[in-house]
Amino acid sequence: MKKMRGMEIEIPITPMLDMAFQLLTFFILTYRPAPMEGQFSMNLLPAQKAIDITKEQPKEESTPSLDASLRTLKTVLRAGGNGLLGEVTLADRPIQGMDELKKELEGFVNDPVVTFDQALIKVDPHLKYSELMKVIDVFSSLKPKPLTKLSFSELGPDEGGGPPQ
Amino acid sequence: MSASMNNDVRAEPNLTPLLDVVFQLITFFMLVINFSQDNFDSRIKLPVAGSARPQDDAAKLGDERLVLNVDKDGHMIFNGQVLSADEATQKIKLEAQIARQNIKTLKGKVEQGEALPARIVIRADRDTPFAALFALINTCQTNGYQKFDLKAMNGP
Repeated sequence: MKKMRGMEIEIPITPMLDMAFQLLTFFILTYRPAPMEGQFSMNLLPAQKAIDITKEQPKEESTPSLDASLRTLKTVLRAGGNGLLGEVTLADRPIQGMDELKKELEGFVNDPVVTFDQALIKVDPHLKYSELMKVIDVFSSLKPKPLTKLSFSELGPDEGGGPPQ
Repeated sequence: MSASMNNDVRAEPNLTPLLDVVFQLITFFMLVINFSQDNFDSRIKLPVAGSARPQDDAAKLGDERLVLNVDKDGHMIFNGQVLSADEATQKIKLEAQIARQNIKTLKGKVEQGEALPARIVIRADRDTPFAALFALINTCQTNGYQKFDLKAMNGP
């Protein structure tokens, strides 16, 4: 019995270490770091019949007729050459650059008199997605509250949405 | 004498700390590895947008999501396969039907016009023309999807 107490039991851990190294090698080889992707989360509602807020007197209270004819802040994006952003208009006013667009949009968003129920972006069918993203970037960075309830529609040929130049 | 000394000396390095470190490394890689890659398609070059926010982990786990990869020609890529416009429409319709069926099984009936709770994640190439993207968004909206996540890179 005394002899048993003095015995050393050695568990061989070398095979376990070998296996652990193999597992480690597998995980290192299959590891692909995820790219730094972000996203814009938004509710894209189907475009509805619109009333231009610049041509319609704002109503004090919402009425049941709003569902049928929503007051709309319209942004038009026309493509220039190679699908790049050519011309931007906000409520029929030409805009020069993204900084001005942001400034004008914040003016509409923070204006207590001029209210709108939907923001409609009419986009040239040939405009590249990256150019559209620049505009969505501006809508999503508005202060104090970003505009994420958007509707998209395609710019028809009669509205200047034509083939790329 | 010296020969017997040499035979008796056994070098036994303590491997337990080494094993601990290796197991910790394995645990780290097991936690960060992502086999599914979230339907990530390396052919898609996402546009860059500074205010794009990283995806919320809680939302990632909680929400049902349908990831649509769109290449620069406007074709939808689903599970690595390039689909034509008709095939893409059929695929979205099928996914919407499955989503409705799942909701019906779990909670109750979903009306035909009612919005689906699932999110559409659009990973479109930076050169995709809007017309192709709009057609896909329209198809999704027609089938009851209203929540969209548009993917972009945080930096160049």
